[in-house]
Amino acid sequence: MSIRLTDISKRFGAFTALTDINLTARPGEFLALLGPSGSGKTTLLRIIAGLEFPERGTVHFEGSDITGLSVAERRIGFVFQQYALFKHMTVAENIGFGLSVRPRRERPSRRAIRARAQELLDLVQLGDLGNRLPAQLSGGQRQRVALARALAVDPTLLLLDEPFGALDAKVRKELRHWLRGFHDRVGLTSIFVTHDQGEALEVADRVVVMSNGAIEQIGTPAEVYDAPANAFVFDFVGESNRIPVTAADGKAIFRGSALDVDANGVRGPGELFFRPHDARIGSVDEVGIDAIVSLVRPREGRVRVESAIDGVSGPIELDVAPDAAPTPGQAIRIVPTRARVFADRIAGARAA
Amino acid sequence: MQSAEMAIDMGDGRAWHRSSPKSNHRRVIPGFGLTLGFTITWLSLIVLVPLTTIFIRAAGMGWDDFVAVGLSARALKAYQLSFGASLAAGGINTVFGMLVAWVLVRQDFPGKRIVNALVDLPFALPTAVAGIALTALYADNGWFGGLLAPLGIKVAFTPIGVVVALVFIGLPFVVRSVEPVLADLGQDVEEAAATLGASGWQTFHRIILPAIGPALLTGFALAFARGVGEYGSLIFIAGNMPYRTEIAPLLIVTQLEQFDYAGATAIAAVMLIASFALLLLINLIQVWSRKRGMA
Repeated sequence: MSIRLTDISKRFGAFTALTDINLTARPGEFLALLGPSGSGKTTLLRIIAGLEFPERGTVHFEGSDITGLSVAERRIGFVFQQYALFKHMTVAENIGFGLSVRPRRERPSRRAIRARAQELLDLVQLGDLGNRLPAQLSGGQRQRVALARALAVDPTLLLLDEPFGALDAKVRKELRHWLRGFHDRVGLTSIFVTHDQGEALEVADRVVVMSNGAIEQIGTPAEVYDAPANAFVFDFVGESNRIPVTAADGKAIFRGSALDVDANGVRGPGELFFRPHDARIGSVDEVGIDAIVSLVRPREGRVRVESAIDGVSGPIELDVAPDAAPTPGQAIRIVPTRARVFADRIAGARAA
Repeated sequence: MQSAEMAIDMGDGRAWHRSSPKSNHRRVIPGFGLTLGFTITWLSLIVLVPLTTIFIRAAGMGWDDFVAVGLSARALKAYQLSFGASLAAGGINTVFGMLVAWVLVRQDFPGKRIVNALVDLPFALPTAVAGIALTALYADNGWFGGLLAPLGIKVAFTPIGVVVALVFIGLPFVVRSVEPVLADLGQDVEEAAATLGASGWQTFHRIILPAIGPALLTGFALAFARGVGEYGSLIFIAGNMPYRTEIAPLLIVTQLEQFDYAGATAIAAVMLIASFALLLLINLIQVWSRKRGMA
């Protein structure tokens, strides 16, 4: 089931939440809306669900315009961040709720509803917890009840708002593996919102990176990580270092020395970005960036080196092999092995 | 990892328990004896002792006299009006108070703070002032009364007027009881019901009502109890005609003005017993509805 958003814009009073969003989810796809808080990702999800309505633009579902349809008419499964379970109902009653509120003609019998609830409980691996109350479940279990409840109405699209947000780190990791496997088994087109780039890269087929109510990049996890479209995406997805440079003659120049980095078409003031694992400590006769080591600590089989560059704010981080680790206070020359130059947004804005 | 840490904590706790010999019934919340003792003393001083004196006084007059005054035809009519009007007003307030609470919690609109403050005004206003204002409005020559009179509806100086005044007096109770529960229920729960295809009515009676039911009953009980004891706002609008629009508290005041203290306490005692029985009943319904809601 495909969903297509065209030129969606939304304001809340003076605040512009979304501007001209165009996005298509392909049938069976698992899509992540990734962005910092206030980037409009949840608003976009709620517009798709019909819980908010856009000022401009259309939502098409399987080619038909559903922009004007109410949330109840859209048949969309929505999993809320805080689960939003009905506290006074048992788990089975929660799951069966969507079927029990159908018009009398379409409503299955009580027994059929119970059977369907049990089927879904088995699907989310909570088989024998049907008679519990939500308060008697752990966070991860509640999350799965919320999912089963959303699936009970045979939705054509599954939307999840920060599905792992309220869980602790270990459960989070387990549940996201589980959810990915679950999606592959069920094959339902799904969109989830997250601010955690690791989550988006690990779970989604494609990642939609958003900031300030606009889409910065849409791509596979590999694309947004390895080929970020702009400085924001580079900075937000994965760890990165940022150093002000000047671009001239197709090269990035840092304090007079031309680094072995393509300028990426930028001319004038720019910013050099590289990931901690995409740089090494070079010898004195190589061209690089001079820095003083401030902190050295082990990290996942490598050593994380934090260093400071005179006149550059924020530490520069490198991952090096343990036997190549410098000591704090040592002067090093950083040689980026893979880096990107983007035009300096702030300097560019000032010039404009 | 977490459970290992917990085991250490529990080990500590046990060691600490063992070091104090007679601590088998230790509680985490301190001062049980002291606070309970204070609560009982305080309630006795403020509520129980004054109420008991009513019964002692009433008992001093002998059973026959007690029945003659406390259960006279005039008194029975007054009880009927006081309790009946209070129940009706409590019911009306339950419905509309819930609506007001829902709007205050869920909707945003300019002037919301002012509306919020307005809700509490019946608490603050001397009730006699409210009575005079309502009487002026609903009298045959008042703004509302003038509109209703051609339809044959009389409000002021009838039992309907009593209900109107009690609705005014009791409004804040339901609103303020329901508001926090509704806020706690969360908008996402209502939205969840909507995404599952529930209509507004289904969401209301299957999701919202079970959640706020106990709070609604509390609000109703408070508004009702307030209505039973109300005097100030009613003496103007009721008209005070014996057997027709005379409320029980007024009957008590009438007895007092005739220096018939025994008669006053007899009526008060009957009111007390009836009020207590009704409030107890409401409490039981509340316990029952909570249990059913949780089952």
